[in-house]
Amino acid sequence: MAINQQPCAGAAQDRSSECTVPPASADPAANPLKTTRRDFLRAGGMLSMSSLMGTAALMTQSDNANAATEWAEHFQKNYRLMTPEEKNESRLRLERRYSDEYGKKVAVDTTEAQPGMLMGYALNIRKCIGCRRCVHACVAENNQSRGTRPGEKIEWIQVLRMERGKFEQEKMNHGYPEGLGIQVGGNAYTPAGQVLEGQYHYNPKAVPEADATYMPIACMQCEKPPCVKVCPVRTTYREGDGPVVIDYNWCIGCKMCMNACPYWARRFNLTKPVLPKEEMNPVTHYLGNRPRMRGVVEKCHWCLQRSRHNRYPACVEVCPVGARKFGNLLDPESEVSKILERKNVFRLKAELNTFPKFFYFYD
Amino acid sequence: MRKIAIASVILALCGGTFYVVSAAEKAAEPAKEAAPKAPIECFESRKGASEITQKELKPGWPNVKCSPTTGAALWYGDPFDGTVPMGKMPQLDIPEGKAVVKPRSEKLALMPLCGVSCHNGVGPKFTPPTLPKDKKPAPVPTMAAMVPDLANLQHGRGRIWCLDCHHTTQRNKLVDHYGDPVSFDQPQLLCGKCHGDKLRDWRDGIHGKRIGEFVSTGKKRWFTCTECHNPHNVQDGARNRGFVQLQPEPSPQLPRGMANADHEKLHPIPH
Repeated sequence: MAINQQPCAGAAQDRSSECTVPPASADPAANPLKTTRRDFLRAGGMLSMSSLMGTAALMTQSDNANAATEWAEHFQKNYRLMTPEEKNESRLRLERRYSDEYGKKVAVDTTEAQPGMLMGYALNIRKCIGCRRCVHACVAENNQSRGTRPGEKIEWIQVLRMERGKFEQEKMNHGYPEGLGIQVGGNAYTPAGQVLEGQYHYNPKAVPEADATYMPIACMQCEKPPCVKVCPVRTTYREGDGPVVIDYNWCIGCKMCMNACPYWARRFNLTKPVLPKEEMNPVTHYLGNRPRMRGVVEKCHWCLQRSRHNRYPACVEVCPVGARKFGNLLDPESEVSKILERKNVFRLKAELNTFPKFFYFYD
Repeated sequence: MRKIAIASVILALCGGTFYVVSAAEKAAEPAKEAAPKAPIECFESRKGASEITQKELKPGWPNVKCSPTTGAALWYGDPFDGTVPMGKMPQLDIPEGKAVVKPRSEKLALMPLCGVSCHNGVGPKFTPPTLPKDKKPAPVPTMAAMVPDLANLQHGRGRIWCLDCHHTTQRNKLVDHYGDPVSFDQPQLLCGKCHGDKLRDWRDGIHGKRIGEFVSTGKKRWFTCTECHNPHNVQDGARNRGFVQLQPEPSPQLPRGMANADHEKLHPIPH
């Protein structure tokens, strides 16, 4: 930005006639040496900048891993733009910081997507009994905040309890439009299938209940994710092997993605996450379950720290009825491919053209 | 101005001293050691099938994490902990060591006794085996006391009885199509006799559950039929939707300022 163009800058609309100040010149004679307010501020800025740099140098050398990391993170690029060296540097930095913070050896993985892999998920909607074990397995694996105060407890999977419909003789003619009405609900079924958004605070003595059917939802890892489309800083993106991930450091916490997601999959760290040292999972992935900070969005990433090393996600492993299935969509022998081939499959809100890689099926 | 400068210098010095002190306190903290606790045990798919005792595989890395509310297994540190090779399965071509199961025979307390003390293949009933004509199990009081499910066998709606699944003479074995003994660790060879569709889905990973490595060539722990289904009461009348009822894990946090979740039940059905 040129300094001497200041009088014109404010009058950009009608600069053609009013602007009379000559353009900046490199000739020292043309620029009489005088200290303007702008020059002064500039010099001051330089000075404070250099002193900050000095502080930075001191802080990066200091023993306080947390401070050093935070400082270095301010100048770190978007994860996708980082060179392998920068990624490695960042990884080491985080490992040092987390190990210091949680009092154990924490590994931050940066394994990239492998070619020939496209992860897919299938869930047997008829088998789910609504026991919420997946929800809590996810919390145990993915270092979510688990405090008790409002906003401190974060769970990525929601299990919706839907009311069960029945096919009954006496209700066969119900549900059709009456008069000039528009058909809004189901026909011949009662109830139409769900109670608005479903219940997810249900807490009976024992599940499954006779009059309920359960539908777990989490991030669908869309092929055309609306959250990625709206992110103003492009911190959330689809990885090469399928999952939609977030570079937590680059997230500004604007929550646009939360508004855009039609599946209510994203969670926001309103407070500083509460993560007890002994419950922290030390096997983490940079784009996955590494501890988050306050003011960033997080969501399911299909346990990237596991699935990049070919292990099933945590929710799949604990489902007591085996309703959850995970596999490589490009491999015709995988369980998900077999399900797509053989079973009746649907995707949630398919009409939105988000193309989820999460399939619901039934026997 | 000068006063302020002096004050700030003093403050900084104090801060420095405080920092040093707190650092020294921090260093002293890890000396404390955790007292040994009672062993935590949790169940996997159904209660009574395969309980796991929690232990540390390496410091800070348990083999399993158990739910404090329901006692269910919530997280596996090592999915292959305590497993053995699954053995041969017809139409299932898996390289050796890539398919493992958790043996159930060692969990069945009566197993070693069954074949030797009562059903040892000798005695008047077994030479030659005289089987009842009507397939109704005769209530032997000892047997009924040991396995309570037998009093009301809920499997096959009265069409099957004990010796359709259990071997006639080797009572600590099951029996397959051709009368050959089958291990209790491979119940799929037996169950597939009738439930062929489920066996086919199970082989392809659609029915049932496998944990470990998800790629089709990876090592997996397979859950066998009896780890999830109790063969003696699969159709128990008290059940809903074909599953034994169990206690759910706690529900999510309510929104700020909301005392209960009754609002979820108040919506009328919109039609």
